[in-house]
Amino acid sequence: MAELATLARPYANAVFGTAKSSGDGLDRWSRMLGLLAATVAEDAVRRVIESPAVSAEAKAFRLCELGGDELNERARNFVGLLAANHRLGLLPEIVRQFEALKDLEEEILDVEIVSAFDLDDSDVQGLKDRLTKRFQREVVITSDVDAALIGGVVIRAGDTVIDGSVRGRLDRLTEALKQS
Amino acid sequence: MQQLNPSEISEIIRQRIEKLDISSQAQNEGTIVSVGDGIVRIHGLAEARYGEMIEFPGGIQGMALNLERDSVGVVVLGEYEGLSEGQTARCTGRILEVPIGRELLGRVVDALGNPIDGKGSIDAELTTPIEKVAPGVIARQHVDQPVQIGLKCIDSMVPIGRGQRELIIGDRQIGKTAIGIDAIINQKDSGIVCVYVAVGQKMSTIAGVVRTFEEHGVLDNTIIVAASASDPAPLQFIAPFAGCGMGEYFRDRGEDALIIYDDLTKHAWAYRQISLLLRRPPGREAYPGDIFYLHSRLLERAARVNAEYVEKFTNGEVKGKTGSLTALPIVETQAGDISAFIPTNVISITDGQIFLETDRFNAGLRPAMSPGTSVSRVGGDAQVPFMKRISGGIKLALAQYRELAAFSQFASDLDEVTRRQLEHGQRITELMKQKQYSPLSVAEMGVSLYAANEGFLTDVAVDKVLDFEDALLAYMNAEEAEFMQRINESGEHNDEIVAHLRAAIEKFKATGAY
Repeated sequence: MAELATLARPYANAVFGTAKSSGDGLDRWSRMLGLLAATVAEDAVRRVIESPAVSAEAKAFRLCELGGDELNERARNFVGLLAANHRLGLLPEIVRQFEALKDLEEEILDVEIVSAFDLDDSDVQGLKDRLTKRFQREVVITSDVDAALIGGVVIRAGDTVIDGSVRGRLDRLTEALKQS
Repeated sequence: MQQLNPSEISEIIRQRIEKLDISSQAQNEGTIVSVGDGIVRIHGLAEARYGEMIEFPGGIQGMALNLERDSVGVVVLGEYEGLSEGQTARCTGRILEVPIGRELLGRVVDALGNPIDGKGSIDAELTTPIEKVAPGVIARQHVDQPVQIGLKCIDSMVPIGRGQRELIIGDRQIGKTAIGIDAIINQKDSGIVCVYVAVGQKMSTIAGVVRTFEEHGVLDNTIIVAASASDPAPLQFIAPFAGCGMGEYFRDRGEDALIIYDDLTKHAWAYRQISLLLRRPPGREAYPGDIFYLHSRLLERAARVNAEYVEKFTNGEVKGKTGSLTALPIVETQAGDISAFIPTNVISITDGQIFLETDRFNAGLRPAMSPGTSVSRVGGDAQVPFMKRISGGIKLALAQYRELAAFSQFASDLDEVTRRQLEHGQRITELMKQKQYSPLSVAEMGVSLYAANEGFLTDVAVDKVLDFEDALLAYMNAEEAEFMQRINESGEHNDEIVAHLRAAIEKFKATGAY
């Protein structure tokens, strides 16, 4: 079975291209896609989408109805296309990839910072500056607190993880001592 | 062993901690999306490199072998039962490495270099990646130093040189491993370090081999890399490369090493299993398309490197010495079919083969080497002059014997010349038999073969030939010990030596003590 990401990629690329060239704007499309993904995630809607008894046109129609005025002409066409190819279930993955492309375009990087204690603003700003310098992109920080880290922070940016927590160091120490 | 007192223990631990570097570094992480059959698919890990070591929770390691757009296919080097979907996997930034060095001599390790003989940890200072490029053309030197196997049939007819690859091929239970073990036993005092790689074998067999080495006093000169049949396929796939890396340590420092891959058939099976599970397209006999490259890149690393290479590698510490790694790969055939896929592949890669036949084995001719189809493409260049001159006629005599063998039924009706040729061939064939774990020195082999060539055996009954040989060698080792040692040390061949030899054998025959 092919990866969901591989299946979703052509659609995400197409939507992204449309969003840029059509003049609707990335933000608008971000909102519309977000709405569609949230709708599709609802139990009742999901059952309809997955049902073989309902025709593709009917599914597209229903979905667009639920979307209401928020969806423009092109978005409706997109929904119709997905329905015709039986790919409505890919919407969450399409949205994810669209957001990634949007971030890349706007040179924004989503960074998650988990710390053991609350960070004050100067700390957060300091981290933000260093990360901006390192990744060469504008950094948007989401922060969280996890006492289990004992101390320090864990910074996650996409695939890259910088584990500066005390718990992380203890784990590495344990592994190293166990091996030797 | 003395008991450590508490303060010593904490001191050791403190030293270890101080040596460690546990500072945080940026690492690439991914999430496991599927686990099964020893293969793990990971989402993320955008910066994984081919062959990189991937770390899983619990210290389990894997090797990234499939780099696809949206996932990385990783083979797990160990037990994968503890892994589950959703766990994080981390890049280590290191291509798969194994420990190397003299500390490994005398030890039994698994494919990753971890000791499995219960003799404590191995504190190797150096590691090396398992995948390395073989030495280039300019770095190589012609093979002209012998590796004495200690078996008459091999050292006389298919001599092996330092840096050569010689394939040992035959059906099951025919004595392939026995030749390898005899080769290692004969390296006790030759200065050649040995590596024995066991791939896919029974643990009991491997234990027996280790025991044999120990009994014959060669364990301290040997590294044993064991990936038994119960080890996961990725470990069986890696084991020969790990052993090769360990052998290359000696090659690159101007020393000589011998490596035995036992056997490459099971290695090919393990690689086929991994490739099929990674969904790579299957080819002939379901092997992946790069099965030839698998063995060719492994065997190309067995070479003789010149002194300039060694000097450059050791930064000028070792000058004027060439290094070598000799490989004896073993391949198992089914019903003697050497035209199957893997046998033909490996035959075309190696510099010759020792072909063992079931018929000869069953007829009591052991080692069951077939002189007609066995070949060494290095040949006489890898023999000391003494052996080269004396064993010159053996292969020809046996070839002529084979041609006339059909006529042996009419023995009484044949002309003198033919009958003599037949009898000579029979005696040489009988002489080629040798017991396991009884290697002969160059001098001993030379004496035996000289006696056969010069007709000293014509009046000895065929079934008494081996007894004659035993008695002759015992006599020579007792009465002519100095002469034998001189031959072993110099290996030279001249008229004076030949005359001395002839006189000695005539004296022995005169005593009639056989």
